[in-house]
Amino acid sequence: MIKLKLRKRTREVDETSRTNNSLGLMFWAAVSFLAVLTFCAIFADILPFKNPTQTFKGFNKNGPSGSFLLGNDGVGRDILSRVVYGAQTSLVIAVVGTSIALIIGGSIGLAAGYYRGKVDRLLTIMLNTTLIIPPLILFISLILFLDPAAERRMFILIFTFALLSIAPIGRVVRANTMAWSEREFVLAAQTIGARNGRVMFREILPNVAPSLISYSLIVMATLIIVEGAVAFLGLSVPSPTPTWGDMINKGRPHLDVAPHITLMPALSMFLTVLSLNFIGDKLQEKFESKAAIL
Amino acid sequence: MKFLKRNIGRIVLTGLVLVILFAWFARPPFSWTFGLLILVGAFGALVTDANYAARRIFSLIPVLLIVSFVVFSLMSSLPGDPALTILGAGATAESIAQLNQELGFDQPFFNRYGNWMGDVIVGDLGTSRILREDVADGISRSITPTLQLMAYSLILAVLIAVPAGMYSGYKNGTRQDRIISYTMLGFLAIPNFVLALVLVLFLAVGGVTIFGVDIGFRWLPAARYVPIGAGWSDHLKHMLLPSLSLAMSQAAVFMRLLRSDMIGTLRLPFIDLARSKGLKTGRILFRHALRPSSFTLITVMGLSVGSLIGGALITEYVFTLPGVGSYIFTGIFKRDFVAVQGAVLVISTLFIVVLTFSDLLYLALDPRLKHQSEAA
Repeated sequence: MIKLKLRKRTREVDETSRTNNSLGLMFWAAVSFLAVLTFCAIFADILPFKNPTQTFKGFNKNGPSGSFLLGNDGVGRDILSRVVYGAQTSLVIAVVGTSIALIIGGSIGLAAGYYRGKVDRLLTIMLNTTLIIPPLILFISLILFLDPAAERRMFILIFTFALLSIAPIGRVVRANTMAWSEREFVLAAQTIGARNGRVMFREILPNVAPSLISYSLIVMATLIIVEGAVAFLGLSVPSPTPTWGDMINKGRPHLDVAPHITLMPALSMFLTVLSLNFIGDKLQEKFESKAAIL
Repeated sequence: MKFLKRNIGRIVLTGLVLVILFAWFARPPFSWTFGLLILVGAFGALVTDANYAARRIFSLIPVLLIVSFVVFSLMSSLPGDPALTILGAGATAESIAQLNQELGFDQPFFNRYGNWMGDVIVGDLGTSRILREDVADGISRSITPTLQLMAYSLILAVLIAVPAGMYSGYKNGTRQDRIISYTMLGFLAIPNFVLALVLVLFLAVGGVTIFGVDIGFRWLPAARYVPIGAGWSDHLKHMLLPSLSLAMSQAAVFMRLLRSDMIGTLRLPFIDLARSKGLKTGRILFRHALRPSSFTLITVMGLSVGSLIGGALITEYVFTLPGVGSYIFTGIFKRDFVAVQGAVLVISTLFIVVLTFSDLLYLALDPRLKHQSEAA
């Protein structure tokens, strides 16, 4: 038993020293997948993708082939280009939603962790109100309440997702700020007469930023899943615009004859979310081990 | 009494299971279910720490009031005239005004809220004109499949997560650990509706054919709800795919938490003591390390009920189960405010009660916290 333990200890040491040096092959695979996806989504109009709304007669439910790399859907549209254009919707909603939540939630969290007291209580109340009602039901009610006729769905989706991501992001920033504002260099800055704003943004924020970034990647992944769920229920951006969730839902009736209609968008959603989670996880590990050395 | 005090966690858990079973078999109105849940929570905690439990139970009242207010104001400010929705497009202005008066929609907001709350407290959630039934009846009918789905999923998630998390934490850093961790990270990335469809594809409708090779089975039914009354095995067979698709992402969350807590616990001196006493590894893991590692897990299990409810909404949609999720969904699409309002209120109440309950359970499992709260 003792022998086994000794071996275990030494292996642990090896493990940490290795993770500090490199992020691993999987990490870079995830990064490059996201990079390719983002590139295709941004330049979808320039790149040689077929029109995502054009129906090709006689190709209904065809599997992957030379001219249609991922096959055709129930009415003969090209799944590859629909996946790429669907990525536009998912990525825009996730990135913009997270950025807005990052700016607002980050500021609130920073203020709450630094000043404590009243601001802190406000954040806690906000967090608790969003926690009270189960999230998906709150999403659906809010979306239908704010935009019943689906005229500005994209805008409303981003708004709702940002609104509901503020509290969790704020909480992470608050906890980190509280820990960092106890440190000597913050006290030193305060002693030499730096204003609160300067202390917050120049001393604390750079230290909070790493964990904030890795957490926001995970928030982004969650938003993609939630957007998928909302689209799956038919409540996301209305029909001609392709979304992954909607494509998955439309493939449901053909599941036994043409499963690729469902599987292709599902696979791309899975890979995107997995990559985001994985990158977030790895970054967090790396930053944490760095902070532990300090 | 001593037995009660020593085994409080087990007793409370048994109580919860009994309540859920009772809800299945007897189908009492939902208010009874919640009343019982609160009673179980109160009982469980009274045996551990009366003051704290009482404080927690009483602090539920303002929270529930806030929830009811949020739900009511959200639903009552939804656009569209409710009377017009009920009567249809051909209604005259007079009949609309009359129905509005009858339903009390012409009164000021706070009067309406007061009336509604007065009814809700005695268990009357109103009558839905569009679905043509009593809302409380509709909810207690449809909550059975949802509660079953959630209970099975939670049980499955724990059954998968606890052994996986313990093994992975014990084998920290090895290849086995990495395989389990990456698999679970993968399940975390699969949205439950995608997992549901993939499971249906491979286990129910026969799978895919790649280069002439069939991959997949036709073992399980793809959809439809079978109540327990129609036979246990048939019921469980129909519930397996929905529960599994809902359970996996929860299992991934639970497993990751348990793993990291387990790693921390296994470094503590009392594990070394147990080991030097010559205890078997299995016994050390289950009897000594599991309990101090499971505190975060229990809090998150309470919180996960929220995402389980949301997931149940989608899973019910995929598998056409007549649960609360489909009830809300129909309500939303038919613009039936009374029904949605009632259902969201009931679900949120359930959620809050479960959260409080998991807090109390936490206290019962970790005696150190009890001393802290006594000292404070």
